Amino acid sequence: MDILEKNVVRKDAWDKVTGQAKYTGDFYSNNMLFARIVTSTISHGNIKSIDTSIAEKLEGVKKIITGQDVQVLCGVLIKDRPALAINKIRYYGEPLAIVIATTEAIAEDATKLIKIQYEKLPSISSPTNSILPDAPIIHENSSNYISLVNDVKPINGTNIASSFKIRKGDINKGFSSSKYIVSKSFSLPKSAHMATEIRICDAEIKADGTVKITTSSQSPFTVKKLLANYFDIEEGKIVVNVPYVGGGFGGKSAVFLEILSYIASNAVNGKKVRLTLSREQDFVTAPSRLGLDTEIKIGANSDGIIQAAEMRFLVDSGAYSDISPNMSKAIAVDCSGPYNIENLSCDSLCVYTNHGYSTAYRGFAHESYTFCLERTIDELAKKCNIDPLQFRLKNAIKPGDFSPSQVEISLSNAGNISLCFEKLKKLINWDEGQKINIGNNKIRAKGLSGFWKTPNPPSNASSGTIITFNSDGSLNLIVGTVEIGTAGKSQLAQMLAQKLNMDYNRIYITQDVNTRSIPEYWKTVASLTSYLAGRAVLNAADDLINQLKENASIALRCTVDDLDIGEEKVYMKHNPKFCIGFKDIAFGLKYPDGNVVGKQIIGRGSFIINHISTLAEDNGKGKVGHSWTVGAQAVEIELDLTEYTYRITKAATVIDIGKVIDPKTTTSIIKGGMSMGIGLATREQYLYTPDCVLLNSSLRTYKMLHIGQEPEYLVDFVETPQIDAPYGTRAYTEHGIIGIPAALVNALSTATGKEFSTIPITPEKIWEWEKNDTN
Amino acid sequence: MIPINFDYYLPNTTQEALLAYTNITQNNKTAIYYSGGSEVISMCRTGSIKPDAIIDLKNIPECQELKIAENNLLIGSCVTLTKLKSSKLFPLMGTTVGRIADHTNQTRITVGGNVCGTIIYKESVLPLLLTDATVNTYSIEGNKSVSIHEIFNKRVNLKPSVFITSFLVDTKFCNTKYFHIKKTANEKIDYPLITVCTLNFEGKIRIAFSGLCEFPFRSLDIEETLNDINLSKNTKLDIILSQIPGKILDNLDGSADYRMFVLRNTLDKIIS
Repeated sequence: MDILEKNVVRKDAWDKVTGQAKYTGDFYSNNMLFARIVTSTISHGNIKSIDTSIAEKLEGVKKIITGQDVQVLCGVLIKDRPALAINKIRYYGEPLAIVIATTEAIAEDATKLIKIQYEKLPSISSPTNSILPDAPIIHENSSNYISLVNDVKPINGTNIASSFKIRKGDINKGFSSSKYIVSKSFSLPKSAHMATEIRICDAEIKADGTVKITTSSQSPFTVKKLLANYFDIEEGKIVVNVPYVGGGFGGKSAVFLEILSYIASNAVNGKKVRLTLSREQDFVTAPSRLGLDTEIKIGANSDGIIQAAEMRFLVDSGAYSDISPNMSKAIAVDCSGPYNIENLSCDSLCVYTNHGYSTAYRGFAHESYTFCLERTIDELAKKCNIDPLQFRLKNAIKPGDFSPSQVEISLSNAGNISLCFEKLKKLINWDEGQKINIGNNKIRAKGLSGFWKTPNPPSNASSGTIITFNSDGSLNLIVGTVEIGTAGKSQLAQMLAQKLNMDYNRIYITQDVNTRSIPEYWKTVASLTSYLAGRAVLNAADDLINQLKENASIALRCTVDDLDIGEEKVYMKHNPKFCIGFKDIAFGLKYPDGNVVGKQIIGRGSFIINHISTLAEDNGKGKVGHSWTVGAQAVEIELDLTEYTYRITKAATVIDIGKVIDPKTTTSIIKGGMSMGIGLATREQYLYTPDCVLLNSSLRTYKMLHIGQEPEYLVDFVETPQIDAPYGTRAYTEHGIIGIPAALVNALSTATGKEFSTIPITPEKIWEWEKNDTN
Repeated sequence: MIPINFDYYLPNTTQEALLAYTNITQNNKTAIYYSGGSEVISMCRTGSIKPDAIIDLKNIPECQELKIAENNLLIGSCVTLTKLKSSKLFPLMGTTVGRIADHTNQTRITVGGNVCGTIIYKESVLPLLLTDATVNTYSIEGNKSVSIHEIFNKRVNLKPSVFITSFLVDTKFCNTKYFHIKKTANEKIDYPLITVCTLNFEGKIRIAFSGLCEFPFRSLDIEETLNDINLSKNTKLDIILSQIPGKILDNLDGSADYRMFVLRNTLDKIIS
């Protein structure tokens, strides 16, 4: 039986198509209280006073909490963020107070009655400004902050939260052997995650001290650990429940609302409190996607072989660091893209500004730095007068080359990027020409991008799995990944069905995660489900198989070596007619006289990624992830040269996925990634006033790609197995987004002759560039 | 969530609606007439309005009519954009309202609401301005009929106690040649950078704009320029650009300069 590479009905399908799927907000209880947060209306300043006296008198208000009541610092890498602002405000929308009331409406009403007086300070509106010598300091005592990891340390007296360095080869030598050099600067704006389900969390503290959290989170186990750490609670007393999550895109990996909910419940003697962010508040207050300022210089010789590259990345972490230092690290280790650059220097800094703070976003910064890199490469290819696809093929990384952090590349750990470009060439019909005049003053143009990405888990990221039996021989697969829309658990069930050679429909999964009844799974992030959870599932399957064989060997009176399993039976390899069903041995083996021997079979498995290390401080040597996923992408557009409006006609991805598990789901997740990439390239962005006040904090003004504006999506696969991964499959769920902004803007640049250095590119932006060129 | 409490009235007649309004306001409370409610929801959410009561007009028969009677097309103020569009009774109006918001909202937004609301674009009013429509209102003075030009200048100028029951459009306008061009920043469904409606009547072009200024307008001066057969295309364009009756809108959707660029391209198309 081969069930891989076949389409299966994902396990959440019926729940979702019927509307029976329940999300955090769907669970109401009668005695629940409701909380709303009060947020700052300035981006940088001191709090002179917070007057809650009028709000407290409003009927139905139970309690109002401010930063003075909970002096706790939070953070996943650096503890730099007060749960509620204490004395100082660092971004527009920062939580200042929580109102707890009998209804949501009363809580909301009360927030408007709280009077806050501020003393404004000058705001820092970009990471480039933030590292200027005379820039105001956003965190005065950053060196006193506690770091939870040893490679992230804020630099005192600066706005730098962390810094990573790559030094490989000799860039001076490299640039002197370069005939063509391109230097470019980029500035990319922050944007929103925009999951369909807004952020929401319920918290309750029971009489025995049990803290119950129900939340829309990608990181239930981290919520548990961090709450224990911040509030000095015994970790076992905290139970985190996560039902279905309506999209996260990284935004729900940050532990944020859970902290405020806990504070709220604690303030009302542990009563159950629900804290919801409105969509508008979600925009201004919740962690968002990073911004990025980049300086990049790449040189190539007359044959178009890259000789050297020098890069500086400034990650706009916003007011607090959260996971941004790791994003600056992720950029550093992958800064070359899937290309071999022997002489390489890269500084990747994580910098505080007065924007809302950043957290993981689909692509973990790769969608940002790849834009800068691939735009520069396109320009360099033009300068070398080499077809951009050919240029990328010439420089494609291959086995025996070394990554920026000096990990040796192999087919197993990095797949085959050249093959991806070859396939893409046909898929997007590259040879018809990159720029074609199609009449009516319109141009059809194509643009390209390569991508690669390695995950950045901590060295102890682990996963655990339990497999139990039902008495009819069917299985329950228990695993702690959160169903955020990617059908991750369904694909794990598919892997298990393949391993046990049985019907996928006879494997049941629990979509909810409960940290007390399910073994720890690090976080549902970094596209790691198939690898990190997959390895644990296969490990548990091995354990299950051993036990099944043990029980069966008694029944079949043979050694375990003679046995194999399939179709819910254990059978003798040389004579499959001698067999016994799972159902007859799963709970021990029953003799005709009623005696039972053996034991209930429970499969147990776990996995920790090996050989993950920190980077050497002087040259960045080290290994942060176990493998790369590579791919090649293209976008085709039609531009009207009179009005500068354009239509996106095609978007294509060829990804080396190792092994396709479920073709339809995989394809649609990659299409979803491309759709988000188009959104970033064409419309999505946070717009701020010079004082860092967010202007577009509603869906009327924050633009997203709509259904009906989507191009034709083309997806194809290369399958170079990753030897240490389940069935050779590679991470893929984030990756559809990564190269699309670059490919799209490369197409627009080809069509217009303008070398754009930011996104989004709207028709007005093109008009501006044209106008500036004419003047 | 609408975080405020308010009273909800659902009158069945114009008289009941007015009575409700009078009673509420006499007690020093605020009331607003509405029909679709999409704007009421978003304004209440953001705290821009806090009405004590809202009076829903959609059960009033006069406000729901959509028919041709004695050479007039009668459009009730509570007719939804979807209903108007799918009736195909007035193609220019159908096309125009069919580009306001997305389908879900079009099933809720009404013609009267769009014309009277706080939204600055009010694209529904453009065909009404071009056809010199008649507006039927109800107030303490009973039923009244006035020209759209009398009550609409930049926005509807009616006392809050007065409400529109319907619009009347002479059917002679309903099937003449027209143009509708809507330009947005990037989206199919969005606020306009510019929406232009034109109507050919008795050999002359009539033209109205939304999105160009902070208010929708029809300009007789621009029409005169457009219809002047002695002017070349480029001269016409230059003159028209100087005849815009207000400051060019400059907002997140598009800068004023860019709007002028889009306007010029759009007019170029219309004149050609």
